Amino acid sequence: MTSKILSLFQLCDSNFPTGAFSHSFGLESYIQEDKVHDQESFFEWLKVYLHEQLIYSDGLACRLAYEALIEEDLQKVWKLDRLLTVQNLPRETREGTQMIGKRMLQLTNTLYEMPVLSLYKEEIKNKNSFGHPAIVFSMVAHGLEVSKSEAIQYYLYSAISSQVQNAVRAIPLGQTAGQTISHKFIPEITSAVDHIMQLTEEDFGIVSPGIELSQMNHERVNIRIFMS
Amino acid sequence: MTDWTGVLSLDLEERKGKTVAKNVYFQGALKVMRPIYHDNSGQVCYYLLNPGGGYLDGDRYKMEISANEGAMVTLTTQSATKVYKTPKSLAYQETTISLKKGSYLEYLPDPLIAYENARYKQKNVIHMENGASFLYTDILTPGWSPSGGKFSYDTVQLVTEIYLDGNLGMFDHIKLTPNNQNLSGLGFMEGYTHLGSMVAVSEKTDNALLDELYETIQMEDADFKIGISRLAIPGFSIRILANSTQLIERIFNNCHKIISEKWTNHTPSSLRKY
Repeated sequence: MTSKILSLFQLCDSNFPTGAFSHSFGLESYIQEDKVHDQESFFEWLKVYLHEQLIYSDGLACRLAYEALIEEDLQKVWKLDRLLTVQNLPRETREGTQMIGKRMLQLTNTLYEMPVLSLYKEEIKNKNSFGHPAIVFSMVAHGLEVSKSEAIQYYLYSAISSQVQNAVRAIPLGQTAGQTISHKFIPEITSAVDHIMQLTEEDFGIVSPGIELSQMNHERVNIRIFMS
Repeated sequence: MTDWTGVLSLDLEERKGKTVAKNVYFQGALKVMRPIYHDNSGQVCYYLLNPGGGYLDGDRYKMEISANEGAMVTLTTQSATKVYKTPKSLAYQETTISLKKGSYLEYLPDPLIAYENARYKQKNVIHMENGASFLYTDILTPGWSPSGGKFSYDTVQLVTEIYLDGNLGMFDHIKLTPNNQNLSGLGFMEGYTHLGSMVAVSEKTDNALLDELYETIQMEDADFKIGISRLAIPGFSIRILANSTQLIERIFNNCHKIISEKWTNHTPSSLRKY
């Protein structure tokens, strides 16, 4: 393992303070309705979340942003930032993601001398862009010369791992059950990356109606431990 | 020369308190009936229709609609959009709507029914100036097959893009492929058969309106799920999962009435179908 990959791992670590762990992205709605209540039902939910929502939004955007960075096509990167934000119809998940993105940008911009990060900050400051973790992550991965498919893989791993921790806290599940899920889920992540490599831009933003509806619904949940 | 199966263009403007067509053009398998004024508000209503009775293999339809400042428009269809099997290439419909500031356009088509082995793609692109208002609904049914099975179509794909003063402000992409997805399952249709979507954009949007809509919808005593949320631009979207077209239509009609009264001071008439 190269030190570059280790550096990217830092962004995936649960200690990296982006606030990602305050967001369940609709999972809490399912838990409250008792649709997700144990290891098996959570595993099912996680599969749909990854394969039917995440790959078409964050996952595909990671790849496209990385490719645009290779081409030095920043206009394309800003366009992806906007697409990612406006396709996220549930307000809480949209605003939550934006907050995570901005914090990740703030932190990485302190850690790295990468001009593109400062440019992204400037775009957001001028209200031309919104801020999204998938874009920041791709910028850092590209800057560290970590390969495109590895970048997507680590991004998805990080998103999934934070959902597993959420499930452990909220369902609740035992720590061992959480680790078992993470372990069993690795082939799912690998196949998601393969799928993303085969997608086209035309596939961007496909949503899974039920997951999206539960993310909207979370706004009306009274007792909550997550912000989305 | 054109490769479109049906083309329709409609440009509307306000003249002395009444919305009238500045230009109406249609060709092939798309048609618009004479304008109807349901009341004395000046708001015009156009019924779009497909004289062929349904979308067939490889059909391509194109609609371009514009509303000038102050124009008030209702667009609807005469009956459900039926998409028959498409063995060779998908049926496609593209709609572009351009709204000047101070105009109001509501596009409320009947449900979509995709038959066995049908593939359908629809793209709606809306260009709005700040100060314009737009309301759109669609209803996806589980389709139709001779054996009575649900979700026997191949693909239904709906893309909606809304630009506000030239910037993309809302992007929605639904793509249902029953052969590759556990459509009735967790995360998808959650055991329901029908999906309704509403999107509304106007600078007049506020949280009180969303609360009122939510409370009104909650008064409905039937089995359904609903989500309502504000967009990144002034506006909101609603998703409904239910088991019948009628229920979603009733909920949307109630919402439509509230929105129309708040945004245009106008109580809508029921859209009688002939």
